[in-house]
Amino acid sequence: MTGHTEKLALTPLHAEHIRLGGKMVPFAGFDMPVQYPEGALKEYTAVREGSAGLFDISHMGQVRVTGPQALDFLQYVTTNDVSKLVDGQVQYSALLNEQGTFIDDITTYRIAEGKYYLCINAANRHKDVAHLLKEAAAFDVTVQDESDDTTLLALQGAASGKLLQALCDIDLQGVGYYRFAECKLSGTPAIVSRTGYTGEDGFELYLPNAAAGVIWGALLEAGAVPIGLAARDMLRTEMGYALYGHEISDAVTPVEARLMWITRLDKGEFIGKAAVAARKAEGPRQVLIALKLIERGIPREHYPVLVDGELSGEVTSGMHSPMAGGVALAYVKPEHADNGTLAVEIRGKAVAAERTKTPFVRSNVRK
Amino acid sequence: MTIPVDLKYTKEHEWVRIEGDIATFGISDHAQEALGDIVFVELPEIGRELAPGDAFAVVESVKAVSDVYAPVGGEVVDVNEVLEGEPEKINSDPYGAGWIAKVKISGGSIELLDADAYTTFLEE
Repeated sequence: MTGHTEKLALTPLHAEHIRLGGKMVPFAGFDMPVQYPEGALKEYTAVREGSAGLFDISHMGQVRVTGPQALDFLQYVTTNDVSKLVDGQVQYSALLNEQGTFIDDITTYRIAEGKYYLCINAANRHKDVAHLLKEAAAFDVTVQDESDDTTLLALQGAASGKLLQALCDIDLQGVGYYRFAECKLSGTPAIVSRTGYTGEDGFELYLPNAAAGVIWGALLEAGAVPIGLAARDMLRTEMGYALYGHEISDAVTPVEARLMWITRLDKGEFIGKAAVAARKAEGPRQVLIALKLIERGIPREHYPVLVDGELSGEVTSGMHSPMAGGVALAYVKPEHADNGTLAVEIRGKAVAAERTKTPFVRSNVRK
Repeated sequence: MTIPVDLKYTKEHEWVRIEGDIATFGISDHAQEALGDIVFVELPEIGRELAPGDAFAVVESVKAVSDVYAPVGGEVVDVNEVLEGEPEKINSDPYGAGWIAKVKISGGSIELLDADAYTTFLEE
């Protein structure tokens, strides 16, 4: 264990993680459970094989955007087309800088006309909020950082709906994938969103901090399994979902990250648009691919990726998937996106790999 | 946590069992516990000559990659190939079914601790 030099923030459920025997590690400035005593593999299995996993992801940030020009503002600062959203709908999107590279990837919630809610990455919170406040000056809009007041839980896995329904005052059958509803959980006002980062059916729950312990306790009581960061990363990597600092960063544009599907060049002006359009025209400088090892081994972050024996790029996220074996996301030179013999260099040895598609294992999200 | 008294230990958390001129290597219960679920083991080639302290195997858990160092020098004469398919045996039985390699001792060792000394070392 390395010593903590800076003071770590605690989520409202920190004492619960300690009580449950969570192994705590620093993550994005927070002291977070990497796993509980059962271990990451058992936690992973619980989510993949029919139970419901409960994640404290309160380190993530929330920003409320309201006002007559909220839509115009969000069209300008985010990449996706916010005008396509209806009330109660969620959209995966991104914040870019003028160079067209990522400030963050986010989700945008449309609560009602002129009322939106953003969920942002913990590590980028202060940078995002400063950026949003600066850009908001030109619009009739209010940007409010609610991160410190909000507890965010994820309940993921096939049993999630059944467990959550018992606490919830609305019919969750009516909440489809990437939809959300404002409702009451055990009497407390909450936002229940049918979203997640695991590839299983499930929900993300936005709660006032004061209700965190009660809802967390009720879900554990109902049989949910607490899940730490290690299993969370396994689950998201198996889906090939991008993670800021890995697949996306301020060094790549949506062209490289294969996120043009959330970058709507046809929607009007937005920050980074010109740079992305130019990059799209000239072609990406590197390309994100999915690969699978043919030989034994675990491809891990930063391992070199070889094409025809020459260095082409590196792994951004990699893992041993219990179902799919050694799998990874990696950046390679654009000419190697579809061509050339792949290998990952592991401890000086070239381990043969092949291109594959994401998700690496079947997704069971509700469509 | 178990620390069998008939074994010797290193400060890098390997154990060694010496029987005649054969030494069996593995990682301690403390090591497997600290690593968490072990999902991959890279074994040495039979016939490889190890100097004391050489990294001879790699153990990977969900989140970490760890080298395993030879407590004593010698030639690798056997490896536990079962671990290639069932690396979790290191978690469930670190001193038994989770052994990693056997060497024919040819002299030399790094600092070895007996069970009491290793227990004290872990407490420090």
